[in-house]
Amino acid sequence: MNSETTKNDSFEPKIIAFVCNWCTYLGADLAGTNRLEYPANIRIIRLPCTGRIDFNLIVKAFEIGADAVLVSGCHPGDCHYTAGNFHARRRWGLFRELLQTVGVDMQRVNFSWISAAEGAKFQKLVTEIVEKTRQLGPYTAYHDVVEKA
Amino acid sequence: MENELRNAIRELLTQKQVDVVIGYGKVGVDGAIGALFITDPSEVDAMVWNDECRQNLAVHLTRPEVKALGKAAIVVKPCDARAIVVLANEAQIDRDNLVVISAPCTGVKKADASGHKTDELEKKCLSCVEHVPQNVDVVVGATDAAQALDAQNQEVAQNRSAGHQTRLAELRAKSPEERFDFWKKEFDRCIRCYACRQNCPLCYCRRCVADKNRPVRIDSSASLKGNFAWNILRAFHLAGRCIGCGACANACPAGIELDLLNLTLANAAQDQFGYVSGKTLGEAPLIGTYDTTDKEEFIR
Amino acid sequence: MSQIISLDNLKRLLDAKIADGATVVAPVQDGDFVSFKAIDKAENATLQPRAAMQNSIKEFFFPKHETLFSFVRQGNDVQLLDAPDFEKEQIVVGARPCDAAALEILDPLFAWDYQDRFFQERRKQTTVVAFACTVCDAHCFCTAVGGAPDNTKGADALLYQTEDGSFEVKTLTEKGEKLFAGQLTDGSANLKPLATPNGAIKTEEVASWIKDNFTSPVWEKVSLRCVGCGACAFVCPTCHCFDIVDEGSYSKGKRVKNWDSCQEAMFTLHASGHNPRATQGARQRQRLTHKFVTYPQKFGFYLCTGCGSCSRSCGASFGVRPCLEALEQNATQK
Repeated sequence: MNSETTKNDSFEPKIIAFVCNWCTYLGADLAGTNRLEYPANIRIIRLPCTGRIDFNLIVKAFEIGADAVLVSGCHPGDCHYTAGNFHARRRWGLFRELLQTVGVDMQRVNFSWISAAEGAKFQKLVTEIVEKTRQLGPYTAYHDVVEKA
Repeated sequence: MENELRNAIRELLTQKQVDVVIGYGKVGVDGAIGALFITDPSEVDAMVWNDECRQNLAVHLTRPEVKALGKAAIVVKPCDARAIVVLANEAQIDRDNLVVISAPCTGVKKADASGHKTDELEKKCLSCVEHVPQNVDVVVGATDAAQALDAQNQEVAQNRSAGHQTRLAELRAKSPEERFDFWKKEFDRCIRCYACRQNCPLCYCRRCVADKNRPVRIDSSASLKGNFAWNILRAFHLAGRCIGCGACANACPAGIELDLLNLTLANAAQDQFGYVSGKTLGEAPLIGTYDTTDKEEFIR
Repeated sequence: MSQIISLDNLKRLLDAKIADGATVVAPVQDGDFVSFKAIDKAENATLQPRAAMQNSIKEFFFPKHETLFSFVRQGNDVQLLDAPDFEKEQIVVGARPCDAAALEILDPLFAWDYQDRFFQERRKQTTVVAFACTVCDAHCFCTAVGGAPDNTKGADALLYQTEDGSFEVKTLTEKGEKLFAGQLTDGSANLKPLATPNGAIKTEEVASWIKDNFTSPVWEKVSLRCVGCGACAFVCPTCHCFDIVDEGSYSKGKRVKNWDSCQEAMFTLHASGHNPRATQGARQRQRLTHKFVTYPQKFGFYLCTGCGSCSRSCGASFGVRPCLEALEQNATQK
């Protein structure tokens, strides 16, 4: 992969979104039924709860070629399983620090709360992330590590 | 101190209060210090206690081979005693069925490539404020010198301005790209021997996720890809748990500064949640709990 | 008269080889450690005899991670791609004699029932230049397993350091002669004294004790402090076990060969959950039996060169030497 040639118009970022089944997934669904257009660069992976989103999935996403990752679930207090998102929030807070020490580009790791009623927020956030990642270019640093394997 | 420790152990064994004592002994090449398992009072004099007792013996408490020996007493450095607190809090050991013996510490010295003692203190000792044993059953020896060291280190510990904290601060001051390149160089040397995992008192899973292959969570290869995934995973599975004994980095045959990853998480646990692992018996694990007021400024 | 090469000329020779496209592997100082690494200029190498090395030269013949073949899927087509041949010239300089000896010990293993072209090709392409030892430490015990500080086994040339930092060169094979052809000057050498380690271990007696004491409780006792990692096996110049796994995704992937160690519990774990080597004692017995009984029976060499790397890198102060010494007490007691 060559960032020189891919930074121009031909580069289409790959974004992987890990979302919970009860809020953000339905939020994305709402965006769809409301015909709110957002870039097709995002691949959504639905999991039961943000509490289930293993930190390792973020690493895995970069391994398989993601240029950015979004992790999203229910607002605090709204968790279908009462507290899954509270547990997740604590883990993310710590995991972000570890990624920073390792030198992972934190502009490519996004966290959000999007409820089932927030189709518009989903549209706006996804558009923003895709645009920002387009500016950043492909995540060659991590992808090179994988290619060298 | 050494003799007082021996006396304490001898008494436990003669009175049959325990079946085995896990202590330090000159067991390796040229008297290198490692774990010594004493089952008979006549063997007690082989136990040593000095500034070369680097290893954290708590790693042996969860091993089936050691459990099979019966009720145990263990000799630990004050800092290592925190590992036993975490093990008890995570229900991995029966704390009531274990005797923990410790003595005030004045720091341990680094070893060179051949295992000989150098004049330098271990990095973690430079900002240590736990020279006096806490949460142990038996303490022998006077604590004055240890207390003085604690007082002396208070400031550097608070400011994180010595030892491995300085190393971490230096690394964190670099750009993300430089940090990534640094770890690329470090992880390139990783041979996936899992010495870091096996020597860690808190990596006690009977089957590590790194060894699971249906599905494969992380590549078992010692490629850069597999090594990044493994070292991130190992460090994070110790988030809010690691007590900073440095056994991982000390055991690493490739000399990777693994303690910096763990230190990052320990600092973060303290900064974000005011949590220091292994300080309080009966405390709930950091990641097993939550607070509705936890910080979330990074979440959109 | 001896054949001499100065340190500067040795560096010049290596630089010329690098310029020719050869891979040159040499000891490199990195922080507290010295390890064998491919270098891009001779200046980066620390060209002098050393006992404590972080790795062995094994990995330049039998890498820690190696692709056997890969596949790419396109539509219904699957394309298989063989790993490329190893065609590059390689020079390993500064090997310890105990590193070099391991190669000769491993040769029959990789050319026995299966001809391992990965190892064999690298052997063919590589010239091994060893340094006779002028230093040793308490971990070294080559003399107890048939080695010596100036052992020539497995090396193409053996270099003796002189008091002024030059080297007296003994070429041992055609490859060695070719490498040093035209590089040597005649002269008289004032050699640094060789360092002979303490090899006072009754290896033969211990080996025969091992053979007869499969069920001895001693095994559990001596290996109680081993925590079961693979460090000893991976730094060992002779340990050669590997695991073959498939990696990748539906669309592309590869079959790889990775180092493996008999000291890890997973090594023999059956799918049923049964583990025939259930304890660390059984695993240590396997390691020592393989090194001192089975391998000699099959191939005629101890699977150990006495380099001491295992005990130097052991996080629990264990390793072959401490284990042999502990067993020796039992072997000689009766």
